[in-house]
Amino acid sequence: MKTNQQTVFLVDDDAVFLKLLAIDFQMQTNFKVLTFETGEKCIENLQLQPDLIILDYHLDGVEKGVMNGIETLDKIKDFNTTIPVIMLSSQDKIEVAIDCMHHKAHDYIVKSETAFLKLQNNIQSIFNFKQVEKKLNWYMDRM
Amino acid sequence: MDKIENVSALKSCLIDANPNALMVIDFRGNVLEVNQKLLSLFQIKKNKLRHSNLNDFFDEPDFIKNHREIFLKKNKSEIHTTLKLKNQTFAIVLISVPFKNDQGKVAGAVIQFKYPTISDTNYTFNPEDNISSNLKNQYMDLSMQEISSRYARSLIEASLDPLFTISLEGKITDFNNASMEVTGLNRLALINTDFKTYFTEPNEAQKVYQQIFENGFVDAYPLVIKDHKLTAVLLNGSVYKNDKGLVIGAVVVARDITTQNKIEKELIEAKVFAEKATKTAEDAKLKAEAAALIAEDAVKSKQQFLSNMSHEIRTPMNAIIGFTKIVLKTHLDKKQLEYIEAIKISGYALIVLINDILDLAKVDSGKMVFEKAPFKMSFSIAAMLHLFETKIQEKNLTLIRKYDEVIPEILIGDPTRLHQIILNLMSNAVKFTNKGNITISIDMIAESKKDVTIEFAISDTGIGIAENKITSIFENFQQATTGTSRIYGGTGLGLAIVKKLIESQDGSIQVHSVLGEGSTFSFRLKFQKTNENVEAILPFFQKDEQIKGLKILVVEDIPLNQLLMKTLLDDFGFKSEIAVNGKIAIEKVKKNKYDIILMDLQMPEMNGFDATKFIRNELKSKIPIIALTADVTTMDLAKCKLVGMNDYLAKPVDEQLLYRKIVGLLKNPTSSLIPKNTLIAENKKKCINLNYLMTRTKSNPLLMSEMISLYLEQTPPLISSMKESFVAKDWKTLQMVVHKMIPSFSIMGIDNQIEEMAKSIKNFAEEQFLMNDIENMVYQIESVCLQAFDELNEELKLIQLN
Repeated sequence: MKTNQQTVFLVDDDAVFLKLLAIDFQMQTNFKVLTFETGEKCIENLQLQPDLIILDYHLDGVEKGVMNGIETLDKIKDFNTTIPVIMLSSQDKIEVAIDCMHHKAHDYIVKSETAFLKLQNNIQSIFNFKQVEKKLNWYMDRM
Repeated sequence: MDKIENVSALKSCLIDANPNALMVIDFRGNVLEVNQKLLSLFQIKKNKLRHSNLNDFFDEPDFIKNHREIFLKKNKSEIHTTLKLKNQTFAIVLISVPFKNDQGKVAGAVIQFKYPTISDTNYTFNPEDNISSNLKNQYMDLSMQEISSRYARSLIEASLDPLFTISLEGKITDFNNASMEVTGLNRLALINTDFKTYFTEPNEAQKVYQQIFENGFVDAYPLVIKDHKLTAVLLNGSVYKNDKGLVIGAVVVARDITTQNKIEKELIEAKVFAEKATKTAEDAKLKAEAAALIAEDAVKSKQQFLSNMSHEIRTPMNAIIGFTKIVLKTHLDKKQLEYIEAIKISGYALIVLINDILDLAKVDSGKMVFEKAPFKMSFSIAAMLHLFETKIQEKNLTLIRKYDEVIPEILIGDPTRLHQIILNLMSNAVKFTNKGNITISIDMIAESKKDVTIEFAISDTGIGIAENKITSIFENFQQATTGTSRIYGGTGLGLAIVKKLIESQDGSIQVHSVLGEGSTFSFRLKFQKTNENVEAILPFFQKDEQIKGLKILVVEDIPLNQLLMKTLLDDFGFKSEIAVNGKIAIEKVKKNKYDIILMDLQMPEMNGFDATKFIRNELKSKIPIIALTADVTTMDLAKCKLVGMNDYLAKPVDEQLLYRKIVGLLKNPTSSLIPKNTLIAENKKKCINLNYLMTRTKSNPLLMSEMISLYLEQTPPLISSMKESFVAKDWKTLQMVVHKMIPSFSIMGIDNQIEEMAKSIKNFAEEQFLMNDIENMVYQIESVCLQAFDELNEELKLIQLN
């Protein structure tokens, strides 16, 4: 696994939360972690081929005229629709969650102390899903 | 000796005697002579063999031609090949020994047919090797066919799985013992019957061998054998072919999977059961959580109701008592005096009850504020005990006081709450004691550099409390016996409040009691030490003759309260003016000079906070301002401090306290809400808590300091833009800014209350309602964050030092 390390992008304009999340990922997972404070920077670096992106919904909170989370999500999906994106927000509004899902986010997680735990579970399910998909394709090829 | 004439017969006898199968051929391969052993191996008549050629017995065309070189070598040689007899093939080793004619040319060869050893087909025959020659003999004693079939047979029979061979038509042609066991039929009954009839689903069984013949094999095909217990099996099979490569049948192995199925079934059952159990547990948990929520809500709404009701009652009571007192000062006849006195006493009783309820609600909801003020402990206790003197004399009791002289003269704490506690315990002692004495003893039991622990004990020789009631007397509305309230009166709230007041100050209370002999209530509280000057503290209540003719501005909108305040102030000998709201107050302050302002908080037009802010910021006046508030909560206090008020007074206004505060402020105008700044830093609870961060970073100092630095970098601009956007009424920005601040509160362990405030601001910014509170919250968040910055900077230094 060491040589085949997977890359995760963390995107959030809240530097404190971003750092904490990065710490969690570095301490508890095998991912190579790259952090970005804006959607623009995340898009610029998509050619690094992240295996997973964790994206804040409110990227345009304080700085004006920057991409918001949904715009960033759309750009990511335009680039490569197979990169799984988990949306993160301190909003626990159902509309926000639905909005994210409509834009092909893999899941939507509310920021809290347990957010990282939920993320971990979610990431696990993403990779399980990917593996199943891969197996299926393999069998389909052989049919 | 007879001469043996017939050499040929002798020779033939010689080769017949050889236990090995032998054949003599000419150089073309034509058979010249064979021995008996060979005939039995080939199962062929001698005369038929004599005219055949060795080629006929091998698959390879021109066998002889290909092997002539070897065959007709001058030396003995070996050939490994396959012999074919009556559609059956055997691996075989031919050992050929050539013979020569008269001219010395190779004319033919004697060939020995040797069965190869099983494990090694490259086995070379070595006559000197005893073991192999024995083995060879053994093998050659049996027909080769027999050996090969015996070996294969033993393998087949050794299998525990039923094994069948079937013909192309699906008839059973052979099987092993396991098959007979599983079908319960003997060899005769089984052979040549239809394979499919032994399964519960014959059509499926037919598909099995059809598949085998189609694909050449079948793998793990599930079926059920129709035996007495319906054995579930997986069928594996493959075709077998004849030497021409034609499929002539199939071998099918049935593997019994009953046990496997059983285990699988048990596993599934266990899993289903486990899932069910988990679900039940989850349901139960959800139900419990829902119930807890309902219960919590119920408690909350009860408290809210009590608190609201009490508040509503207290406001008019304020006026009733106030005016009763005023009436008492007028000329009254004896009867009138008695009646008015009765009103006053009842009014006080009611106010005490309401205050009790409010206090309970406050303690329960964590809103109780404990003052940190310097006070003279001995003086304070003595003044309070005066209140009981008449009562004690009336009941003919003796009051014994014990006061530990080592207790520092001045301590820091909440004298009002201490009074309340001792008052409650003393009045109980007096109430329940009819004979004997009441002892109050105050001892210092521990002392450190910063604080002292003092034990207060109040003993009586009263009715006592039954042992089984001792715990319940501290519950709300509980008394030791149900009859108690009828005889002695009281609501049963006193001890509940006492306990809560003590425990909220990290103290503890204990009771020792013997029924009929008396009770002792003792409690311990910590008080901080101080170096504060004794002179700076005013005596409990003593009119200061030097202070006279003060000019006081009362900012109050309710006419009754205006009048009450005016009367009180007149009584003190002070002049007063009334302003009905903040705006008018500001106008008055601009025009006239006042010594002090008493400021109500809730007023129409402009409230007390805004008015104070204006006076401090716009008029740049340092005039002492005392807030008058109906209900003191943590929030109000913080806000009072924030806008620059010097002190506060809770309504209904205690006239002694009012006087003390006015005089205190005038003597020491710099004193503000909380006595001294040095004290604040020491006493103030830390607003941050790095536990969360520590667990998350596993206390890694580098990560910790990175996190803290990031927070310190990110948050100040957020705070200022929060304030700016609030002032500019830019709700959208306010919402965004506060939104961004929310996650960091819990990361830095800042009180949940603050986070809730931030959330309220966010909601407000979205929907724009509830103006008053929001402003307060914005300032509170700011002040907490500023405190957090200081604390975090400290922590950062500490971390970096280590």
